[in-house]
Amino acid sequence: MELRLENFTKRFGDVTVIENMDLTVNSGEMMALLGPSGCGKSTTLFAICGIHKMNGGALYFGDRDVTTVSAQGRSVGVVFQNYALYPHMTAEQNIGFPLKVQRMPKAEIRREVERLADLVQIGNLLDRRPAELSGGQQQRVALARAMIRKPDVLLLDEPLANLDAKLRLEMRSEIRRIQRETGITAILVTHDQVEAMSMCDRIALMRDGKIVQLDTPEQMYRNPQSQFVAGFLGNPPISFLPARADASLTLANGQTIERPPGLEAMGDVVLGIRPEHFGPQHGTGLKGKVVFVEPQGREELVDVRLDGGGDIRSILPAGDPIRPGETVDWGIAPGTILAFGPNGDRL
Amino acid sequence: MTSRMLGIGFLSPAIISVCIFFLLPVLLTVVFAFTNMSTSTGIMGGDYRINTEQLRSLPDLDVSEATVERLETAGFQITEAGLTALADQFSKDTAEELREDYLGETFESRRDLERVLKDLDEPIRRTRDRKEAADLFAVTLIGERFGTEEEFRAALGTTGIDAVDHDVLTEFAYTGWTWTTDNFSLLMELPSTLRYAANTAFYVVATLTFNILFGLFLAISTFYLPGRLANTFRAIWFLPRILPPVLYVLMWNWFTWDNGFIATVMGWFGVPAKNWMMHTSTHAWTAIVLINGFVGASLGMILFSSAIKAIPTSMLYASEVDGANRWQQVRYIILPQMRWPILFMTSYQTLSLLTSFEYILLATDGGPGRSTEVWALAAFHTALNNYGGNLQYGFGAAYALVLVFIGIALSVAYLRFFNFKELLSKPRIEQ
Ligand SMILES: Nc1ncnc2c1ncn2[C@@H]1O[C@H](COP(=O)(O)OP(=O)(O)OP(=O)(O)O)[C@@H](O)[C@H]1O
Ligand SMILES: [Mg+2]
Repeated sequence: MELRLENFTKRFGDVTVIENMDLTVNSGEMMALLGPSGCGKSTTLFAICGIHKMNGGALYFGDRDVTTVSAQGRSVGVVFQNYALYPHMTAEQNIGFPLKVQRMPKAEIRREVERLADLVQIGNLLDRRPAELSGGQQQRVALARAMIRKPDVLLLDEPLANLDAKLRLEMRSEIRRIQRETGITAILVTHDQVEAMSMCDRIALMRDGKIVQLDTPEQMYRNPQSQFVAGFLGNPPISFLPARADASLTLANGQTIERPPGLEAMGDVVLGIRPEHFGPQHGTGLKGKVVFVEPQGREELVDVRLDGGGDIRSILPAGDPIRPGETVDWGIAPGTILAFGPNGDRL
Repeated sequence: MTSRMLGIGFLSPAIISVCIFFLLPVLLTVVFAFTNMSTSTGIMGGDYRINTEQLRSLPDLDVSEATVERLETAGFQITEAGLTALADQFSKDTAEELREDYLGETFESRRDLERVLKDLDEPIRRTRDRKEAADLFAVTLIGERFGTEEEFRAALGTTGIDAVDHDVLTEFAYTGWTWTTDNFSLLMELPSTLRYAANTAFYVVATLTFNILFGLFLAISTFYLPGRLANTFRAIWFLPRILPPVLYVLMWNWFTWDNGFIATVMGWFGVPAKNWMMHTSTHAWTAIVLINGFVGASLGMILFSSAIKAIPTSMLYASEVDGANRWQQVRYIILPQMRWPILFMTSYQTLSLLTSFEYILLATDGGPGRSTEVWALAAFHTALNNYGGNLQYGFGAAYALVLVFIGIALSVAYLRFFNFKELLSKPRIEQ
């Protein structure tokens, strides 16, 4: 079911956390709400599920206006960051709780719980209490509980934040699988770009209560609308180099590079170069000295200090015998330079 | 080694307090319970004395009539004390003559002494005077005080009382306290015992039920109120707890007096004025349960409130998006997680209600009649505040000892039930 947030405003006291936000999540889509800590992701999520009242704007589930409907009256499933399982109930009772409060017959609840338990693959753990479950298993129980009512939308608030790295990887694909299998409309709140890019159809990148870009992960990575977006996405992060644009691009350190085609701006700009686009395989052009090498198994990260000042990062296949202190002259892949204006907008 | 000493050092204030404020009173209670101490025996021990009124109850003791007679008049002896009295009341010369000829001599009967008095050079002439004069030399135990058992027994020896009766009389004459188990047999026999036990059971159960239910109600209802309002309500409901009991109960008294608040208000509707606390035992019980209940409930409210606050908000949020309404939230999420606070409160309050009586004492003092007399209050009345004036410390202590045992038994049961070690090591409200 499509979810539409129009002109959403949220205030706590006289602090406005979100102002006039518009967001549409298509039916069956998984949307990421991505942004740094404190940008208002959870606030948006709580407004959608009805825990927080909206101070302005409207919320639609499909054609139904649910702006003033209570949390109980909306059909949403929520997985909370700490799972919020009921400690005194077994996994089965936890999952069945949303049906129990609807006074559904016991046998039916039992059947539904088993269906969900199969979906999230915890059929053998149903009579355990949360304290007797691992983090990943608790996560699955929480997911099953959120989905048992067949809600219109599924909201996930940092669902992977409390898991260790390996489990996080596993649950990432699990959640995506379950979302795909059920075709449910979902919103994933996260501050982890990898999670957002790997799990979601589209990403809404937030900053200070505003959505700064809404795009597919590839588009957002390749085509960021602002310096903030470019800097937020990508790991290892993009390198920024201030430059002057005229006939060519003159870096602050005096080195020059060719103007990329299509760039019309003149004057002060900031160039963004992703680490995979800078290296010996792209020819020559920028001279400097290697200051730091960080092996990462398959790849290694190389920090280069340019002659005359400025740092730029490169990521290279492991095995190249590069040592700190080595002088290098590497090139930039053509057509990959991102240029931003002094206000941070993409040029 | 040193750290061990240090540990003991740090513990010592606690150990000393436990000894002074718990072990010592318990020990004293045990000691007192096995004595017949009362106002008349005193608590310091006593002397040996039989007075005139006691003579009448002597035959009950299985002593022979001869002994009783002997006790009354054991004989006559010319002593300095008697002579001084004689000199004062009759004539110095007679006394002087009697001293010279007869000092220390004894006479079996009054008639013998009277004859001597008559035959003196300075005789006492009138028969009635002679009788009185003879009485001045009467040797008797009646009314006389003996500091120790030996003195009393020695005195008994001089009276010529059959030695068979000495032990009984010595025991009878002792005015101090003695060791005895009579208190407990008395406790078994008295019908009031059952009455007090039933009163206590009713008092504890009714007050406890009120405490817990009302405390829960207050905690849950203030939980859903906006913060400022909730705090105001809690502060108001906490008043009974922090008010001095005397003041608090005084307010209740004022509230329920024949011309107090309730009577006045009910008067407007034509209800005749009466004392709403003491009118019948039902009134009294209602008042007592309410008086104690509000105090207990305010403590429960604080404890339960903090327990509710310890429930993670996300769990409450979760229940809301799961579709639970307020009532279902309370029923399925909040109450089940309050199990431990409720159990704790129940056990704690049971113990304190069993032993507390100050509010009842101040409100009804066990009345009307004895209808609200609970066990602890009975102990207090018996030992320390008796209508008759004879405070029966020993018997009162026997009452108290029963409570001590019930209290210890309950505490042990609770400790096992709660498995306090576990309770302390692991928070019961989990994430
Ligand atoms: N109940 C509240 N009262 C006042 N301010 C609040 C409240 N809840 C959130 N805020 C403020 O609103 C802003 C957004 O909070 P929110 O919890 O939505 O951040 P977030 O994006 O979820 O961050 P995180 O990634 O750290 O969870 C923050 O500045 C926060 O301080
Ligand atoms: Mg958050």
